[in-house]
Parts: sequence; C-alpha cells; structure tokens
Amino acid sequence: MEYEFEGKTEMEAIDAAAAELGLARDEFDVEIVESVSGGLFKKGKVKIRIHLHGNAAANARKPERKVEREPDHDTPGEAAREPVRAPANPEATDEFERQVIDFTRDIVEKMGYSGKVSVLFREEKKLGLRLESDNASILIGKKGKNLDAIQLLANVYVSKLGREDIRIVLDSENYRIRREESLVRLAYETAEKVRRTKQSSLLEPMNPFERRIIHTTLNDIVDVETKSEGEGLYKQVRVLFKGAAR
Amino acid sequence: MERDLVEYIAKSLVDDPAGVSVNVIEGEKSTILELRVASEDIGKVIGKHGRIAKAIRTVLSAAATKDSKRVHLEILD
Repeated sequence: MEYEFEGKTEMEAIDAAAAELGLARDEFDVEIVESVSGGLFKKGKVKIRIHLHGNAAANARKPERKVEREPDHDTPGEAAREPVRAPANPEATDEFERQVIDFTRDIVEKMGYSGKVSVLFREEKKLGLRLESDNASILIGKKGKNLDAIQLLANVYVSKLGREDIRIVLDSENYRIRREESLVRLAYETAEKVRRTKQSSLLEPMNPFERRIIHTTLNDIVDVETKSEGEGLYKQVRVLFKGAAR
Repeated sequence: MERDLVEYIAKSLVDDPAGVSVNVIEGEKSTILELRVASEDIGKVIGKHGRIAKAIRTVLSAAATKDSKRVHLEILD
C-alpha cells in the first residue's frame, strides 16, 4: 500500500504521515518523491511516498480520517502561521462537497469540455477544488478570466445552498499559485524600476486578491509606496517613489 | 450546447427553476440566447453590479470558442 504526503521538510512530511496513518515511524518505508528547497519567495517542499507492508498496512488508519481532524496541536505556533496542507482526500466527503463538485463539473461539461473536479484542500472557511482537463488552458482563460468566472458561479451556488460561510477556491494546473508568484516578481521589478527612474508606474487592472499581493509585497519596502486607482472590481495599482525614509 | 449551459446555471441559482426558459435565435455567425427567469429571480442571475451575468457571459464565450461562434446572452424580464 502506498500513500503520499507533503511537508516543508522531510521530517515534517514523515511526522504528518505517522500522525495520519496512526503508525510509528519505523513501521513504514519512506521514499522521497520530490524535494524543493526554499527560495526567496517560495517555501521549501518535500513530497514523500510511504510504503506499507504486512501488519503496518493492516494497522494503518485510512488517511481520509485526516479530514475531520483538528489542526495539529503539537506545534501550535508553527501550525497557526503556516498550515501544512496535508494531501486532502480528493473525493467528496459529504453531501455539500458532492453538490459543489457536481455543479462545477457539470458547468465544464456543458461548456463542451471534459474535466474532472476533486477536492484540493479543506480549510475552516474554504474549500479548494482542483479542475483537471485536457482543455485546462481554455478553462483557465486569459489571466484566469474563465477560471474566475466558474469560481464565482460556484460561490454563488454555495450561498444558494445556504453555506455562505464557505468560500470556494477553484484551481487548475496550479494556476493560482503560479499567478501569485509572478505577481510578487512583478511587484519587485516595478519597485526597482520606480526607484531607478523616480517615476511612478501604473500596473494593469487587477482584481482585489491580486492587488493585495502587490500591496503586501511592497509594504516592507521603505522607498516606494502603493496606491489603488480607478473604480469597480478591477482597479489599478500605482507604485510611487517616496525616497529614502528619514 | 450553449443553451443547456445557460439553462443549467440559471436553474441552479434561482429559487424557481420552473420559471427559467432559454430562447435561441440562431444567426449565421452568431447566436443570441434569451434567458427568462421569474421576476423575483432576476437578481439571482444578474447579481450586484452584474457580476453573475458577467460570469455567465464569460463562461458562455469560453464554451463558444471551440466552435468559433459568437454567442450573446440577453437577460429578459
């Protein structure tokens, strides 16, 4: 039997596996599948595969149980700052999840594309869904336009179901994570340009989530400041030169 | 089919699914879809600042790209 787990470090991934499967660390074999070391904007990530043999396989708890568990209490500080996303059970675990997954998949299918929708992560107020499709690039659309539209409809549907407390995050091909990284890069590049030319720079229109990434990225940089301009949902961020802090 | 898509979304979001109907006006290069919902439900398919209507139109045009046709959605009450 094999299961995959992830953590920021190898140790953390193994701990997660042990806790989730209810086994001691010497009861399973660990294979490192992927190891990404942390960079400037990126956290390190280690993906491991657990191999279970004989008794251990029989004794192991079903990993799906993890879903209902409270966040790890062993390391409260760490867990609160950066919750480790253990791989969530991709299947719907209740009627609500099933309805949202079906709704999202039905939209994709009625758009004329084949696709598979599964659970990507579960948080207290969020449900992350993964959309897999051969037509992912069309379903994501320019600057995530189509993905955003499907996500919005899923969220409206969710409030129709009376679950306004839950927000749906729809991702495909890790688009949202990649977009976030490229926005952080854009923020730094723009700050650099503004500092060099001492002239402000106006970025392309972005949604509130994207603008927030720009604002927070440049928040700590003392010689530039950011400001939103325009009206409506898609405002533009202007990066201005402020000069050295006194 | 685009008609099914609009009908499915509308029926999922309104309180009165029986009040949803979609009329298709097929043109040479473009198709017009006329969506009708019960008058109490009109806000459910338009949304604040037209957010929902815009999302339906976006999804619709993504669906239409595969057969390179233009689809217009009109919401009637």
